[in-house]
Amino acid sequence: MTDDLNHARDELMRASLDHCVKCTICETQCPVARVTPLFPGPKFVGPQAERFRHGESVDESLDYCSGCGICTHVCPQGVKIAELNIMAKAVMKADQPPPVMKGLRDQVISRTTVMGKAMTPVAPVANAALGIGLLRKAVEKVVGVASGAPMPTARTETLRAWLRRRPAPPAATREPIVFFHGCAGGYFEVETSKRTIEVLEHLGFQVLVPKQGCCGLAQQSNGLFENARTSVLDLCDALRSVGKELTIVSSSGSCTGMLKHEAHHILGVDDPRLLDVGARIRETSEFLLELFESGEVLPEFRRVEATIPYHQPCQVKAQGMGMPALTLMEMVPGVRVVESGQPCCGIAGTYGLKEEKYDIAQAVGKPVFEMVKATNPDLATCDTETCRWQIEKGSGVRTVHPIELLHFALGLSDDLPL
Amino acid sequence: MNGPVPRRGTAPRTVVVGAGLAGLVSAILLRRHGHQVVLVAKGLGGLQLSQGTIDVLGRLDGRLVDDPWAAFDELPDSHPYRRIGVEAVRRGVDVLAGLLGPDLLAPVGERNQLYPTAVGALRPTLVVPPSMAAGAARDGRRIVIVGIDQVKDFHPELVAGNLARTELPGGGRLQVRHASIDLGARPGEVDSSPVVYARALDQAHTREKFVRAVKAVAEPGEVIGLPAVLGVDDPLAWADLQQRIGQPVFEIALQPPSVPGMRFNQALLAHTRRERVRTMLGAEVIGLVNEGSTVTGVRVQTAGGERTIGCDHVVHAPGGFESGALAVDSHNRVSETIFGLPVTATDATELIHGDYWGAPQPLFEVGVRVDDQMRVLDDRGRAMYANLYAAGGILAGAIRWREKSGEGIALGSAVKAVDAITAGEDRP
Ligand SMILES: Cc1cc2nc3c(=O)[nH]c(=O)nc-3n(C[C@H](O)[C@H](O)[C@H](O)COP(=O)(O)OP(=O)(O)OC[C@H]3O[C@@H](n4cnc5c(N)ncnc54)[C@H](O)[C@@H]3O)c2cc1C
Ligand code: SF4
Ligand code: SF4
Repeated sequence: MTDDLNHARDELMRASLDHCVKCTICETQCPVARVTPLFPGPKFVGPQAERFRHGESVDESLDYCSGCGICTHVCPQGVKIAELNIMAKAVMKADQPPPVMKGLRDQVISRTTVMGKAMTPVAPVANAALGIGLLRKAVEKVVGVASGAPMPTARTETLRAWLRRRPAPPAATREPIVFFHGCAGGYFEVETSKRTIEVLEHLGFQVLVPKQGCCGLAQQSNGLFENARTSVLDLCDALRSVGKELTIVSSSGSCTGMLKHEAHHILGVDDPRLLDVGARIRETSEFLLELFESGEVLPEFRRVEATIPYHQPCQVKAQGMGMPALTLMEMVPGVRVVESGQPCCGIAGTYGLKEEKYDIAQAVGKPVFEMVKATNPDLATCDTETCRWQIEKGSGVRTVHPIELLHFALGLSDDLPL
Repeated sequence: MNGPVPRRGTAPRTVVVGAGLAGLVSAILLRRHGHQVVLVAKGLGGLQLSQGTIDVLGRLDGRLVDDPWAAFDELPDSHPYRRIGVEAVRRGVDVLAGLLGPDLLAPVGERNQLYPTAVGALRPTLVVPPSMAAGAARDGRRIVIVGIDQVKDFHPELVAGNLARTELPGGGRLQVRHASIDLGARPGEVDSSPVVYARALDQAHTREKFVRAVKAVAEPGEVIGLPAVLGVDDPLAWADLQQRIGQPVFEIALQPPSVPGMRFNQALLAHTRRERVRTMLGAEVIGLVNEGSTVTGVRVQTAGGERTIGCDHVVHAPGGFESGALAVDSHNRVSETIFGLPVTATDATELIHGDYWGAPQPLFEVGVRVDDQMRVLDDRGRAMYANLYAAGGILAGAIRWREKSGEGIALGSAVKAVDAITAGEDRP
């Protein structure tokens, strides 16, 4: 047992269990328990089963918990149910290692940077390969990534290459800020990163983009705590390297959550570097809304007549900041946002990629897909990359980060179907 | 970025603390008055734990209350209703009826009626959902209580036995027998939570088997009492079932999760979304920022640290002991845990008696005192801040589940607080 898992064991022992008053509120909101009898629900696998674990794994149904965090989000007593489950899952994995190939899969899908780096130079080939049914089927059989699961589209140009190539940005009129793009934002969702940088620069900021690695979230949710801890602290060093007082902004909703609270609560990282970064980081919409409401900057949006479906990912909900993206998009004259009202799209990081969870993840996401299709067949919005892939796959509707709508409304682009 | 956050536009901003009945209704009403509203809640509120009825005043000094409105005058001066008044409670109930609509709430009557509980007691309340209406106790009514084997928390024999032996207040009895059906909510499921069962019955195609099973155990002329699992998202599932069964049915609320309470909660949350209440769920309020006797912001603990939300008014509706807004520490000291507000008693020693199953603990009357605008009062009876209002379970002076007054207090105080906040503003 490694030190990292010892932390998980210790925390499990003295966790917030006794705060649970058995109100069952978490049970009623868990998206996985809603769609499958295989999973008995958060109160049972969380605070209730925990009493019997004594550091040992007792119940395998725990593996069906997606780690979406909705239970923690709604618990009125502050019980960290999802965090308990993720820690207990890591312990379970260490006690009963999964079959070799599934273990390998969990390693691969949680190494987002590696996947991105490996796929970029061969993007057209990688895209074709991931799109080919037979090949995907073979992959499913061998390593257990479901053949229907959404997969990222690799881009021909990384964010760094674009930053090197593009003409110099306009002279800054405001303070410098740091941009954290996340692995997806560096390799797959490059457009989201570019447009965030352009919006921030348009508003007068000098945007610093230090060379940066992965936050370790996917490793954490696949129980690879040791790797996750190293990743997150390396990232903190990178983000701190360009300035220790600056605000950090990120369009990667779930990775922002990792830095704000998950690495601290789940991995037990108490390192002052993490706490510093966690306190300075803002999700893009959160940052812009604070900025616009302060009255310091008044954005000049053009009129956009559109009804925009919006789904806030579970991992963004968990940050307890409300829905700044919704308020922000509705500051654009003519825009009306329809919110999904759903807890989770099903993917929950890498959960919905796994063959044995695929059907559950699709069932969880179904109401989101239907709402998107019914609201606007051309365009939807969502703050996290894996969720966008899931929603696009499930609904057939192009799904972008809310920043793309703002970019359009500020007149910086014209290529959205609006 | 930790100072009070100023904001765009001129609309006043109110922060509402808590997503229970009091907080949700205050937030919706304030939006209708054109306020910017930020609702901050640590978690979901208590509606899902409630019976899904509107209690105004069911019991007083150990006796049943027939006309709750007339009984207000008999309450002691320390009771919250003495500050709130009949008119505001009536308005609050009407507001809720408007928000929930006729599918979720039967017409508001003038007198309490008695309805069966999950242990077979009879409980007074003023307004029920239409799905419970046929359960009102009447002399000679023939009832069959039908259990579902897979819903383990409902024991038809217990319910029927207790109901049958209860003499009605006006004299007479119900004629009650019991039966049960064996029908899983999902294939292979032997133990279903009420919510899982209700979701199965939301699907019209799963109802047929249920209808057949119930029909097989009911006799003509009987009113059929069922555990409250007749749909959760579809408010008319119960009516469809009743029509297909061809006899009157009624629901009996279970211990949490309460499906009728959940229907109310979902409906009110949908209103807050539609009205663009900015809801920060999963964020904990930890303090105030003030300039003299005016509150200028609310301090919130959330992922990544503290934020301050600037505001012009605060409606403080964080519930009571159950939600952690009031607490007793190991030295028996009672406190309000969020803003450190003065409470009506600080020493719990005399307020907790040792008889666990005996009379309600006087401790539960402890809370925050308010004036008739719902402004929080200090120890000397003066408003602590010009713009800090309290509503719902935090108010001192009532033991809600004994009196059956929780919803009435929450609604009336919400209406009063909103009245005070918006007084002098142009009504939209
Ligand atoms: C088990 C039980 C049974 C009851 N039975 C009855 C009955 O039969 N009849 C009756 O009339 N009444 C009954 N009551 C009382 C009634 O339910 C309550 O009085 C009423 O629901 C109060 O609602 P509320 O809005 O004030 O608070 P609640 O519904 O308790 O909601 C409180 C809200 O505040 C939030 N909150 C708390 N602290 C913070 C913080 N620091 N920061 C942010 N948010 C916070 C919570 O998360 C929650 O959203 C019962 C109560 C309980 C608990
Ligand atoms: S919501 Fe919280 S207090 Fe309620 S049952 Fe779940 S863990 Fe326990
Ligand atoms: S984390 Fe999500 S899936 Fe897991 S128990 Fe909580 S709500 Fe359910």
